[in-house]
Amino acid sequence: MVAIRGIALSKSFHYHQVLNEISLEVKEGECYALFGPNGAGKTTLLRIFATLHRPSSGRFEILGRDGLGDRAKIREDLFLIGHGSYLYDDLSVVENIQFALGVRGGHPTDHEIKLALDRVGIGAFRKLKSRHLSAGMKKRLSIAKTLLIRPKILLLDEAYASLDERGVVMLNDCIREFAKEGSAILMTTHDRSRTAEVAHRAGVIQQSVLQEITIQEMLAADALF
Amino acid sequence: MHFFNTIRWIAWKDLLSEVRNRENISSMFFFALIVIFIFSFSFSLDPRTVQEVMPGIIWVAFGFTAIIGLGKSFLAEVHNDCMEYFQMLPVPKGAIYLGKFIGNVLFMLIVETILFPLFVLFFNLDVLEKFPQFLLIFGVATVGLSALGTLFSALTVQVRAREVMFPILLLPMAVPIFIGAVEATRGVFNGDAFALYSHWIQLLVVFDVIFVIVSFWIFEFILDF
Repeated sequence: MVAIRGIALSKSFHYHQVLNEISLEVKEGECYALFGPNGAGKTTLLRIFATLHRPSSGRFEILGRDGLGDRAKIREDLFLIGHGSYLYDDLSVVENIQFALGVRGGHPTDHEIKLALDRVGIGAFRKLKSRHLSAGMKKRLSIAKTLLIRPKILLLDEAYASLDERGVVMLNDCIREFAKEGSAILMTTHDRSRTAEVAHRAGVIQQSVLQEITIQEMLAADALF
Repeated sequence: MHFFNTIRWIAWKDLLSEVRNRENISSMFFFALIVIFIFSFSFSLDPRTVQEVMPGIIWVAFGFTAIIGLGKSFLAEVHNDCMEYFQMLPVPKGAIYLGKFIGNVLFMLIVETILFPLFVLFFNLDVLEKFPQFLLIFGVATVGLSALGTLFSALTVQVRAREVMFPILLLPMAVPIFIGAVEATRGVFNGDAFALYSHWIQLLVVFDVIFVIVSFWIFEFILDF
């Protein structure tokens, strides 16, 4: 089943066209990697699917639901790890997780939170206030939230940014696990070799349009753009 | 059920953050202290003068401390893009408003509870017998102020001239609350029978209901445009 479907999506900011009639499908259990130069519109496309932006034209569906009309239902199934960490500086790591899940209606047990934090490698810092976390640790915290929410649609913006080598391996493990469980993953990245370990399909956004490429083409090219 | 959980978690987060960083409460407290200090030296402390000017002094102090505190209500949501996380929550956005509103009401009441004994001390007020009436007036007026303050804080948080825009929007709308609160407080200071000033409290309750319902309804459009 198609989990994410974009149909002729266009987006303009004032007179600047960022996306031009982009169509894209990501099936359940599939990981789709989006490449493109800075400012190509990768984040904008992700934010449209995350229901944060409305497209200027075109439409999209998430798990068969209309992306513009059925936003409340769609939001139950998706989670975005974006540029923001969505953390509160004065709350501890555990409190931030409890809050992030609590406002969504989740009730993770202390044990579940501990397991998730241990898995992403920040279990030892669970009582630390998030203001003291590094960018990489904040990213790991976002991944821990994802592990507890287990969304059907996972959107990863600059997936590997701020993560160290072990962090990248851990994230790829998580992506494989989510895909195996049937989640659809749409990620933007610049790291082709790491992406090739988990991505099933890939595309390049350049000059506002999306061109699909195979994983082999992605790896073989000297430069994608 | 998610709806009430969201309200509870947001109110909890706001109060916990404030207890830990004490940024708002200290600026509000010192501002009110200066107001009390200046007025206490400006007027003679004979009972008749105190009776005439005290309602105004109390609500000048409470009103402006509310502007300081409520104006920053949504500031924490802008850091780390937490507002974006709110946008993506699979709950009616009114729940976010109510959570912030309840947090603000409790926070304002705590500040007023700290400040009122200072009024008693500096102006030598005899309020022990009238304490329940004061409590009632402070409660209903604070609900109205917080209802408006929460809404306008969300509206202006992304605006560049936030500090200017917030009071410009809040103060004209809050005029009925200030009039009702001052008149009811004057009734208590004069030693009037409850029936003589209860209509002012009824007016405050009516405005509370209107402001909370309208703000709750509008908030959906503010956050989910």
